[in-house]
Amino acid sequence: MKINKRARREANQLFRLCVANDVLDEGRAREVARQVAAAGHRNSQAVLSHFLRLVRLDQERHTAHVESATPLPVDLRIAIEASLMRRYGGVLTATYAHRPELIGGVRIRAGSDVYDGSVLAGLTALEKRF
Amino acid sequence: MANLREEIEAQIAGAKRTAEWQNVGVIREIGDGVAKVEGLNDAMLNEMIDLGRGITGIALNLEETEVGVIILGDYTELQEGDEARTTGKVLQVPVGMGLLGRVVNTLGEPIDGKGPIKSDVAYPVEKVAPGIIRRQSVSQPVQTGIMPIDAMIPIGRGQRELIIGDRATGKTTICIDTMISQAKLNKAAEAAGDKSHRPLYNIYVAIGQKQSTVARVIAILEEAGAMPYTIMVVASASDSATSQYLAPFAGAAMSEWFMDNGMDALIVYDDLSKHAVAYRQVSLVLKRPSGREAYPGDVFYLHSRLLERAARVAEKYGNGSVTALPIIETQAGDVSAYIPTNVISITDGQIYLETDLFYQGVRPAISVGLSVSRVGSAAQLKAMKQVAGQLKGDLAQFRELAAFAQFGSDLDAKTQAQIDRGKRIMEIFKQPQYNPIPVEVQVAVLWAVQNGYVDKAPVERVKEFQNKLTDFLTTRKSDLLARIGKEKAISDSLKADLKAASDEFAQTWK
Repeated sequence: MKINKRARREANQLFRLCVANDVLDEGRAREVARQVAAAGHRNSQAVLSHFLRLVRLDQERHTAHVESATPLPVDLRIAIEASLMRRYGGVLTATYAHRPELIGGVRIRAGSDVYDGSVLAGLTALEKRF
Repeated sequence: MANLREEIEAQIAGAKRTAEWQNVGVIREIGDGVAKVEGLNDAMLNEMIDLGRGITGIALNLEETEVGVIILGDYTELQEGDEARTTGKVLQVPVGMGLLGRVVNTLGEPIDGKGPIKSDVAYPVEKVAPGIIRRQSVSQPVQTGIMPIDAMIPIGRGQRELIIGDRATGKTTICIDTMISQAKLNKAAEAAGDKSHRPLYNIYVAIGQKQSTVARVIAILEEAGAMPYTIMVVASASDSATSQYLAPFAGAAMSEWFMDNGMDALIVYDDLSKHAVAYRQVSLVLKRPSGREAYPGDVFYLHSRLLERAARVAEKYGNGSVTALPIIETQAGDVSAYIPTNVISITDGQIYLETDLFYQGVRPAISVGLSVSRVGSAAQLKAMKQVAGQLKGDLAQFRELAAFAQFGSDLDAKTQAQIDRGKRIMEIFKQPQYNPIPVEVQVAVLWAVQNGYVDKAPVERVKEFQNKLTDFLTTRKSDLLARIGKEKAISDSLKADLKAASDEFAQTWK
């Protein structure tokens, strides 16, 4: 969908109104989406599309994807979450996934930061060096 | 043995494997050599971005939610959703003596089929120009071997002299002649074992040129034996706009290596009009706001930061220099267009080439009235100053009087003499291409013009007179030419010898 400059600007403004203390207020976001859709303005769809993108980017920024070759024990999960909290503050939610191709170790993606301690990453780095 | 194993096991147990940190984004959109990447929160301006599949890009636009990356290489292999990573490095190109005689692309990779380049040093393509403390004023000449330039529009080492004119007026030829002249001087000094000679190395940057044109330039330089002193950086018309935009900066980095190591370099940007067009294309694809003629607002800064890198550094900092000869192609002689006025205001003078003069047979078609060198006179040889001091004024008077004489009115003897002198000077300044004249010969010939020896030859035979005089001087009075080159000024004794030689030649001239 073609999103014009005005729609982008309005979506940005609405998104900013939904953020309090650097955290997206999900209730406000839902209300904004409902009201924009209900208004039936010709730009509504474009505004909502861009608003959705901003919400998606915000969620990605505040989500940590933890991948490991085998399921992580609870105590390790707690330790990982604690260190993520220390680094990024208390606004990060963690999701866990199994990726056997990692062979061993853990790969964490928090926003655009990737911490790769997997065996696969080590082997790839070794391959590059050769 | 068991001890050894235990020790190694202990080492393994003690070794800490740290997780590798990377800043990663996802390609959201790709096309026209530009990728929009979401994420990459820590990307820096001009940082190299690893786009995967061996393809690299440069972060040029840092926006709130995404990064605009220009892609170096074949972007058709990349796909939406691919991961992109920051590298923490800025774009670098190999530099050094190993590049001399080679033809490379924007990334400094060889494209001449002569194997890999021997270089273990790399310079960033974007670099801040030397500051005022490091600089010194221009004081050493660049001998172009083109008589009207060396006599009236002298260029000094560290100067930025614009070559401007319409298509097919001889802009590239002037630069090639200058490069050939440097190669000849370098070779002669090497052969003579002259330690005082400071060689000038050439860097020729072809931007948006046809491959056939580039091949022709290479062939000319090879034929003239100038390639061993030359680096060719080529971003031809078939290369991406990104490559064309970066090529002059890569060339500038290569020339800076010579300057930083106390040597002199001459860089030709052929041409900056096409460079501006390539940058406009990149900027429009990146959706940057456009200004006059759809060029982005920072097109002036683009060229000013590039040309500011030409400098002569002080002796304390190595005494090296980079002389820049940017070329601008005008449309129908319009020097008041956006890019020409920008570059005119940035450079230390311009050599303006006129189509009319070119087709009248005045080649090089330099318009003396519109051409100027703002700092080069400080670098001109004293001998040249002594013989060429009046030439520009004489020619200006000649043009005025010649226009007046067209009305067919009777002219007094003095006016007629001025017109005749002007016509002869114009003939003397005609010069075949790729045939630079040594400065000693230029001085001797101009001394003969100044002292009325050329007046004896009819206008249509002036060129013949000049050629024979040159032959006479190089074959029979080579010691006199060598003295001019050595003393660099016309003393009374040199004047007497020049007079004697000119008289001797005048007696044989028929």
